[in-house]
Amino acid sequence: MKKTTAFFAGLALFLSACTQTNSNTQTSSISQGIPIGVALAQTSNVALLGQEGIQGAKIAEKYFNDKGGVDGTPIKLIVQDTGGDETGAINAFQILINQNKVVGIVGPTLSQQAFSADPVAERAKVPVLAASNTAKGIPEIGDYVARVSAPVSIVAPNSINTALKLNPNIKKVAVFYAQNDAFNKSETEIFQKTLKDKGLDIVTVQKFLTTDTDFQAQATNAINLKPDLIVISGLAADGGNLVRQLRELGYKGIIIGGNGFNTSNIFAVCKASCNGVLVAQAYSPQHSNAVNQAFRAAYLQQYKKEPPQFSAQAFAAVQVFVEALKAVDKRSDIAKMSLDKLRTELNKELLTRKYDTPLGEIAFTPVGDVIQKDFYVAQLQVDANGNNGKFASVPK
Amino acid sequence: MAEFLNTYGPLIVSMVLGALLGLSLYLPLMTGQLSLASPGFYALGGYIAAILSTQVFPTNEGSFPIPLLLLEMLIAAIVSGILGVLVGIPALRLRGIYLALATIAFVEILRVLSLNLEITGGAVGIFGIPQPFASPIEYLWVALPLLLISMFLLYRLEIIRFGRAFVAIREDELAAGAMGINPTYYKVLAFTLGSILAGVAGALSAHFLNTWNARQGTFDASIIYLTSVLIGGSRTFVGPVLGGMVFTALPEILRAVAETPGLPIWLAQLLRDGRLIVFGVLIVLGTIFFPQGLVTPDLLKKIKRQEQ
Repeated sequence: MKKTTAFFAGLALFLSACTQTNSNTQTSSISQGIPIGVALAQTSNVALLGQEGIQGAKIAEKYFNDKGGVDGTPIKLIVQDTGGDETGAINAFQILINQNKVVGIVGPTLSQQAFSADPVAERAKVPVLAASNTAKGIPEIGDYVARVSAPVSIVAPNSINTALKLNPNIKKVAVFYAQNDAFNKSETEIFQKTLKDKGLDIVTVQKFLTTDTDFQAQATNAINLKPDLIVISGLAADGGNLVRQLRELGYKGIIIGGNGFNTSNIFAVCKASCNGVLVAQAYSPQHSNAVNQAFRAAYLQQYKKEPPQFSAQAFAAVQVFVEALKAVDKRSDIAKMSLDKLRTELNKELLTRKYDTPLGEIAFTPVGDVIQKDFYVAQLQVDANGNNGKFASVPK
Repeated sequence: MAEFLNTYGPLIVSMVLGALLGLSLYLPLMTGQLSLASPGFYALGGYIAAILSTQVFPTNEGSFPIPLLLLEMLIAAIVSGILGVLVGIPALRLRGIYLALATIAFVEILRVLSLNLEITGGAVGIFGIPQPFASPIEYLWVALPLLLISMFLLYRLEIIRFGRAFVAIREDELAAGAMGINPTYYKVLAFTLGSILAGVAGALSAHFLNTWNARQGTFDASIIYLTSVLIGGSRTFVGPVLGGMVFTALPEILRAVAETPGLPIWLAQLLRDGRLIVFGVLIVLGTIFFPQGLVTPDLLKKIKRQEQ
């Protein structure tokens, strides 16, 4: 009996401790570097995307510290792995906020993880900059959530405009999408809406899974309806195979790929069949501003290939934090500010400024969505034996 | 202490939720039925809570009223219970590996449905689920009593007629039938109780995770929870609770261990980047050295004897 009472007393004590709210009133110890959190996936099936982001962020850390950091104080990136699921993202955010005491967070990788973890940061009043979340509703999660990754609703329509420019006689369109992937589901909605707004006729919408390899049924169905344009929202492996099978079955018209095609892995999948596929991009390595040239050179030197979009976006996110910190520091010394105050000030500051990043010039809407000036449409160019592929930008 | 709770609050809550899911898999195992359907009901409960709280109940500013949360959990329990009976009656005519297959199929059907229905938001899922509490750790106010009540009920269940019948069926279904126990009735009962528990845990998880989508409660999750039950111990309810908690926490504990100052760099790196490898090795070692699970009835008896 005694034991049970002790147990419940202990429980009550524990639960009452739960309701205490912790406040960070001590000044941030930033002398060894200003901690900026990076919560991206280093493990699980989205690790490929997460690692590209981390590469970009690391290059940014070195680039800005070489330039003197924030008025002499270097920045320090703290990377926590989110894995591919929601709980992992929440745990990583918690550790970055409470243990590593970061001033802001770059991440998480997936939009679904953002829906789960961003409210945690919002409640703790820590600014979050998403570098790869493109779904609808991300900046609307709260005041402290913003993104540098342009939403699909803005990027995707560009490729349709280009296709119409290349062939003004397009009337009938077939749409394909991977129904088990959140990104492709929202992307195809944007594609379909844009097609309707342009007065084009969507003759069929075919669904597939990202794990499929055989698309003969869907491809035959679509080709029988004689479309002039095919729009695909899928990932590299499935999308690439779909393109190949469409070409093998005799489709000759224009193909538009979604953002999932935005990786050099696609060339290994569809080889020469991919020649001519149009892809809209939020980033182009060819962008001519100085910061992109420096970023591209650093990336090429370290990884021996052109920087991918996710790396550029993560770089831009770190850059936004650094430049906003500088601006806050100009007004009052950030070393003397309490961590809570610094986070709030940083959040206020970063939304009001303009930044010249590798993505081109960006700014933010009051709610925290990115305003990006330049978008690109690339055409996949593969030589006849299918070995060398590249993204060639299409003039607007 | 406060800082520890702040950092690991969500982890503690997910540990409690993990223990609840472990228990929901343990219930059908009590009658010797290998059912992997729990994550399906977990997903179902989550969708019920997510849809109710974002679309049906008025979403005024401020925190979500707790009575409504409890109501959602009740609705999730009722729906899961009814579906549990409907699925259980035909599915439990199967045994062993065939039952496992049928329940995996059930989980897949639910997943494909949630990907294709409009109301579940397709692959993006449902987001912006309102919060009943100001901080994640406060979910313990609901989760912990739920776990304690379930553990108490299971403790009682193991020593009354129903529990004895469950064990009799697990040990020998034919003999149990010969003694006048209706195996189908008890098997469906155990299955349904497990589904109800999973549904309630799902409803709470949806609020806890802020969002719900088709990636919750999939086949992968079934395997992880089955492992945690088997390694925790499948002969007493303490096993699944322990297993569920340890397995939820282990990847995070390894992350924390890697941060301890003074570790050699290679070890810290292994623990941080390779923590899932360590996790896997521990599972293998667990199954080899503790084939009956960590907590066995014999162990409990030994502890009791020592106390006396």
